[in-house]
Amino acid sequence: MQGILPYILRRLLWAPLILLAVSFIAFTITRFGPGDPISVAMGQFRDPEALARVRHEKGLDKPLLDQYRIYIWNVLHGDLGESLSHQGYSVSEVIFPKMWVSAQLGLVALIITFGVGIPVGILAALKQGSWMDPASISTFLFFQSVPVLVTVPVMLLVFVLKLHWLPTGGWEGILSKHIVIPALALSLPGIAGVARLMRATTLDVLKEDYVRTARAKGLREFTVVSQHVARNALLPMTTIIGISLVTLLEGAFFTETLLGLPGIGRLAFESVTSRDYDVILGLTLVLATAFIVANIVIDIAYTFIDPRVRYQRSAVT
Amino acid sequence: MNRLVGFVLAVVVVLVLAIGVISAVVIVRGGGGGGEEEQQTQATKAATAEGGGETGGKSTGELRLPGSDPITLDPALAADAASATYIVEIFGGLVTIDPKLNIVPDIAKELPTRENGGIVNNPDGTVSYTFHLRDDVVFHNTSRLVTAGDFKYSMERALNPHTASTVAEAYLGDIVGAKDMARGRAEEVRGIEVVDDFTLKLTIDAPKPYFLAKLTYPTAFVVDQQQVEANPRNWSRKPNGTGPYKMREWSLGEQITLEANDRYHLGKPSVKTVTFLLAGGSVLTMYENNEIDVAGVGITDIDRVQDPTSNLNAEYVTGDDLSISYIGFNTQVEPFNDPKVRQAFAHAIDREKIAKVVLKDMLRVAQGVMMSGLPGYNPQSKALSFDPEMASQLLKESKYGGPDGLPTVTITEVGGGANVGFDTQAMVEMWKENLGVDVQIEQTEAATFFEDLDSGRLQMFVTGWIMDYPDPEDVLDVHFYSQSRLNNTRYSNPALDALLEQARTEQDVNRRMSLYQQAEQIVIEDAVWVPLYNGRDHALVKPYVKGFEFPPMVIPHLRYVTIEQ
Repeated sequence: MQGILPYILRRLLWAPLILLAVSFIAFTITRFGPGDPISVAMGQFRDPEALARVRHEKGLDKPLLDQYRIYIWNVLHGDLGESLSHQGYSVSEVIFPKMWVSAQLGLVALIITFGVGIPVGILAALKQGSWMDPASISTFLFFQSVPVLVTVPVMLLVFVLKLHWLPTGGWEGILSKHIVIPALALSLPGIAGVARLMRATTLDVLKEDYVRTARAKGLREFTVVSQHVARNALLPMTTIIGISLVTLLEGAFFTETLLGLPGIGRLAFESVTSRDYDVILGLTLVLATAFIVANIVIDIAYTFIDPRVRYQRSAVT
Repeated sequence: MNRLVGFVLAVVVVLVLAIGVISAVVIVRGGGGGGEEEQQTQATKAATAEGGGETGGKSTGELRLPGSDPITLDPALAADAASATYIVEIFGGLVTIDPKLNIVPDIAKELPTRENGGIVNNPDGTVSYTFHLRDDVVFHNTSRLVTAGDFKYSMERALNPHTASTVAEAYLGDIVGAKDMARGRAEEVRGIEVVDDFTLKLTIDAPKPYFLAKLTYPTAFVVDQQQVEANPRNWSRKPNGTGPYKMREWSLGEQITLEANDRYHLGKPSVKTVTFLLAGGSVLTMYENNEIDVAGVGITDIDRVQDPTSNLNAEYVTGDDLSISYIGFNTQVEPFNDPKVRQAFAHAIDREKIAKVVLKDMLRVAQGVMMSGLPGYNPQSKALSFDPEMASQLLKESKYGGPDGLPTVTITEVGGGANVGFDTQAMVEMWKENLGVDVQIEQTEAATFFEDLDSGRLQMFVTGWIMDYPDPEDVLDVHFYSQSRLNNTRYSNPALDALLEQARTEQDVNRRMSLYQQAEQIVIEDAVWVPLYNGRDHALVKPYVKGFEFPPMVIPHLRYVTIEQ
């Protein structure tokens, strides 16, 4: 593992610099943009003097760099700040429960997307040339083309109002009926993409010499597919799966709004319209950190999945 | 192997197609609410003796309402309607407003008046209000009696700059010494005096008849000093109040559950539990699925609900509220610094037609600045009428000589930029047709809009106002007095100022209201605002929910609701 440790260390050293840059950009944009959180929370009785007094009380009239310095200092001590649109709650208390809900939902959706997409892609590749190849992919392309704004109301109409099988929305945890509609809405569009990618990589693998060798050895087709073809075809998928895991933390605004889910997508949107500075920054930092970590993890994972990669990495170092 | 693969693929495709076909069939068969659904509800009705209503469902014994997350539950900080909705149920003050918009006593035993000696004019021009408090009001969770000292604490806390309230000075600023405290120049408010445990004396700077009305607003409510001091950051998550309902649970973004206060001094509420579902979602679908008991109806659903053959129609209720939407002109910039131009624009739009055709009669056309139900409302008031000839004539008489002499005119409203408000589109077309002016439409999102409005960057804008307390001062003085900080049209008229100043301290009710009516006339004739519509709530209420009045303002009303089992 000669090359990997210094590689990881280098990546980790870059991380704080990236985070600092990201947070500074977000900080500046929010402060310079029009509108401010006190003014938004002020309602219709807009008194500029009272506004100025409260801004001063909250430290929003200090020079930008001072505010930033204080903010970073607090973050390093684990304090992400206070929410101004949900007074009395800290930013962590606002963000993390919602992120957890979005993550759970996203995970279920992801399992469905890959759980259906990968086999369909492999099977389509194996059936290349027959009508079943384009037919299977096209069915899922239909769901990719129809936006969530359409699929959710249709599902609500069918499953809730007509059939009374499912509740309208809300969240009762990952094992309840409430998860069915959102999980379907979020997972169906992605299946086509996964299937097509899987199909492409499988086709490439099928052309490889070792597949022909395996078949020539007299192995059963099923073994050939599962042991040799699938494992190698899954390699490029690792990156996709890894990045997709991070998008779990982003939530899905439309689905959450239409179905009344207390998720992070809606919070992100609302925190921008209400100019909840610290929540916006908290979200930015958490997501940036997640992406950095995910990328490092994927790179490490590659060295384990594909033995060839390890040597290539040390060569590059 | 090949056959297995083929088989699996075929199954997958067939399954997906089947889902699609079934969905299509179910949708088509379902239709617009008739047919199958009628049969179902008839059966439900027959099966259960009391039964639910047309949309089915029985009450669960608790009231389930849609709601949104409050910005805060601290009465000293509340400035928005969502927060106020919960605060007025959980907390109480000296006085409150009943559903008929009368100011009535809450924790005070009776309203102070000049007749009962409760209101006294002092030699130095100030006026003192003496409140005798009830001796049976306790905080929800500690059973501690509320005293005058608690009121002094609460009001001073609201005014304390460290509490960072943006609204305290607006509603408590008339009290002697309040402004000093708000600016950090004093440690206490001289005008709030604890005479004894159950007697509170408030002294204001001039004889202002609207002071009692202002005390109905949350900043004057009483909070539990012990709770606040023990937990300054988080106490408002589970506040200890004196109102008809106590907070049982608040899961951020999910729900707020209120529980009846059995010891409420004005009468125990009938409904034991009220749950507000905060997560949102499709409110009307939830109502039809019996997940909530009340649902607001928007313009996209109003046709379905107003259709007499729909099963929703029997549950449809409306209520007028004290709000107004209007077009405002910036009277300090071209071309609206010329009153004739403003009047021309006002006469060029047909609001009745817009209300009927575009807004489907969901709102009432406003004929003035004050709205029906507000003291001082003038039923005879008429806004500038739709008169296209007069409009063009006025434009010719203006200093621009006609539409071609005008600079670019832009109307700004709040929006996401995806589509323009239906009524704004109609008005822009009418200005084009009747005046020959091409008005540009600009949409900005709320925070940006208010910043531009406050800094005078907007030329012409569409916005609204909701009454905070039932007194005309809250709309006329606040918006049109030349030095008022909320004067978003920057209008300055000494004659109007004189009327408003006089009305502030006029003690005779009729004369006072007459002054405000005259003020309103000036505003209308000078076309400072073009009043558009007064608000009306449209909602569906389940038939087993009784007494759910739509109050015209945010006032406590849940304790009047009963649920038929």
